[in-house]
Amino acid sequence: MIFQGVFPMSVLERIKALFNGAKENVIKNISEEEVLDSEKENTSPKKTSNTSSSKDGKLDDVVSGTKTSESFTKKSKKTSAKKSDVKKIKVEKAEDKKTEDKKSKATSTTDNFSNLGKVSKNENVSNLEKDSKAKDTSNLEETSKDVEANEINTSKASDAEELPSDNKILEKEKEVESDEEKVSADEVSEEKSAKNNKKSDNMTLLTDTELLTNENIDKEFTKEFIDAGIESVDHCFQCGTCGGGCPSGKRTPYKVRQLVRKCLLGLKEEVITDDSLWMCTTCYTCQERCPRSVKIVEIVKKARNIAAHAGYMAKPHKMTGLFVITTGHGVPINPATKELRKRVGLGELPPTTHSFPEALKEIQTICEKTGFDTLIGFDKETGELKE
Amino acid sequence: MEIAYFLGCIMNNRYPGVEKATRILFDNLDIELKDMEGASCCPAPGVFGSFDEKTWASIAARNITIAEDMGLNIMTECNGCFGSLYECNHMLKEDKDKKEEINQVLADVDREYKGEIEVKHFAQILRDDVGFEKLSSIVEKPLNLNVAAHYGCHFLKPTEDIGIEESAENPSILDDLIEITGAKSIPYEEKMLCCGAGGGLRSRDIDVTLSYTKTKLENIQAAGADAIVNVCPFCHLQFDVGQTEVNKKYGTDFNIPVFHLAQLYGLAMGLSKEELTLDSHLIDADPALAKVLAEYDKLAAE
Repeated sequence: MIFQGVFPMSVLERIKALFNGAKENVIKNISEEEVLDSEKENTSPKKTSNTSSSKDGKLDDVVSGTKTSESFTKKSKKTSAKKSDVKKIKVEKAEDKKTEDKKSKATSTTDNFSNLGKVSKNENVSNLEKDSKAKDTSNLEETSKDVEANEINTSKASDAEELPSDNKILEKEKEVESDEEKVSADEVSEEKSAKNNKKSDNMTLLTDTELLTNENIDKEFTKEFIDAGIESVDHCFQCGTCGGGCPSGKRTPYKVRQLVRKCLLGLKEEVITDDSLWMCTTCYTCQERCPRSVKIVEIVKKARNIAAHAGYMAKPHKMTGLFVITTGHGVPINPATKELRKRVGLGELPPTTHSFPEALKEIQTICEKTGFDTLIGFDKETGELKE
Repeated sequence: MEIAYFLGCIMNNRYPGVEKATRILFDNLDIELKDMEGASCCPAPGVFGSFDEKTWASIAARNITIAEDMGLNIMTECNGCFGSLYECNHMLKEDKDKKEEINQVLADVDREYKGEIEVKHFAQILRDDVGFEKLSSIVEKPLNLNVAAHYGCHFLKPTEDIGIEESAENPSILDDLIEITGAKSIPYEEKMLCCGAGGGLRSRDIDVTLSYTKTKLENIQAAGADAIVNVCPFCHLQFDVGQTEVNKKYGTDFNIPVFHLAQLYGLAMGLSKEELTLDSHLIDADPALAKVLAEYDKLAAE
């Protein structure tokens, strides 16, 4: 039924054409369509070779049509296999990234971030490829089925005006499936060789170490959001409005929609080891536009709290913390500003912790009580960070 | 009327001209600004809010208790400080458990958060408590400037919590306040875009921050603005210092003067650029000031 629903007209037209003796033209048309499709989608070299082989005029009989359909179905199978892989969320090589993170403590964050950018670029590319492949294949499937339909009607040319019945199509599909099985062995070896060739489009293939399983899920992580009063994490239906308006999403690998999803799923390591978590400027654009009133910025901040407590803190952030512990200000006074203040008739020091040592003592007591000093690695003896 | 004046960090420790202009402005408006002695960093939401909520809320609540002891509402001229203090005040008023948790911390410094006062933004006070009519009366020298208003993020958002009656996507409060000085608030692309400095991003990844700032500057320049006017010293710093950083990184030659709204009012009240510490800005304010002076000369000649 689906078959008829989607393209009854083209089938009908082609059947008619066949019985008008224009068989060769039809097939030529098909192959031209294929060329067009492949050009439009800018497909992989493999497919182009398929198309060119049909273009070489080997499509002048129905059997070769079936051959084409075989190779296309083969492709479609591959894609469906990939699709099921995609369902399992891809890990951005968590292990590698951990090392990167450690490295980042020593090297500059910019460096680290550009690595991240690379990783995500790959991911983007591969996603794109997946999309375009899926599209391609559906187009190709269409064509191949058309060819099949032609075949059916030539071999059983009893009723020219009647569309092929569902039964016949089913029969035909079974045949194709058995063909697919034959092909699958070739496929495996093909994929292996492609894997060795790193330039190939098989970068989308996932290895076992890159898959997320139930073991990656930490329900306690999700619970931390609920307990913190951000129950709205559960209201998200992944519409993507947040990401669509996110200015950091435009510039960095930060994917706010994905972050919310991962927090809800409990993918703790995924979230806290990802540097892009820190690319949000907390501008609230996402939260203002969210049709489900999810407190997205609260989720980001909570995730950052958990990451920070797990040791994922950038040195510059610790430094700001250090300034507050030692002066009471994230941006303390400097000699130039003291001069300016004096010049315009303000006190050289503002009437803040800068002027009241006992007030600064209060800040330090608070930071000790909450453990913030330990969190950033503050050394009371030296008044510096321990690292 | 008296208000507890919360200074924060960047305004008083980097751009004291903003503080000076504010003190003179409120003097002219017969509002007494009372110093919050011993106040600290708000603390910075990008670092403390992102690292440890409890520490963030404790330090913010401590600041609020200083105003509670004075029996006065707080005014702040920084979106970051406003975000921290308002959000903390809002959270502790709503959530009794959190209030208790924070008060346990504050007990160690002999303080108690009670939830008795309001935290207000400078621009909010000017519009809602002072009013446009009274504000107009202090303008001595109308400013002949085309100005790009930069709202920043933690001023009106999240609108669900913040009590300022405004639209998050298409607000007018800052534009209205700018136009009282005689300046014209001109439209520009992506007006509500963040400056890029917030959320701890400026210290963590300056390149990403500058990418934001560059977009803002391009759009502001394309609209033909004589100056950028903000209501947040951190955005202010990002447009001033960040502008030179953008020029260095991208090889651009942006030179758009930056004024905090208080400095714009200072100019309209006839204060000098020295009093407003505009001469300490990295981006030269003179092109905008020259345009204002040229207009005065023209008016004087007529």
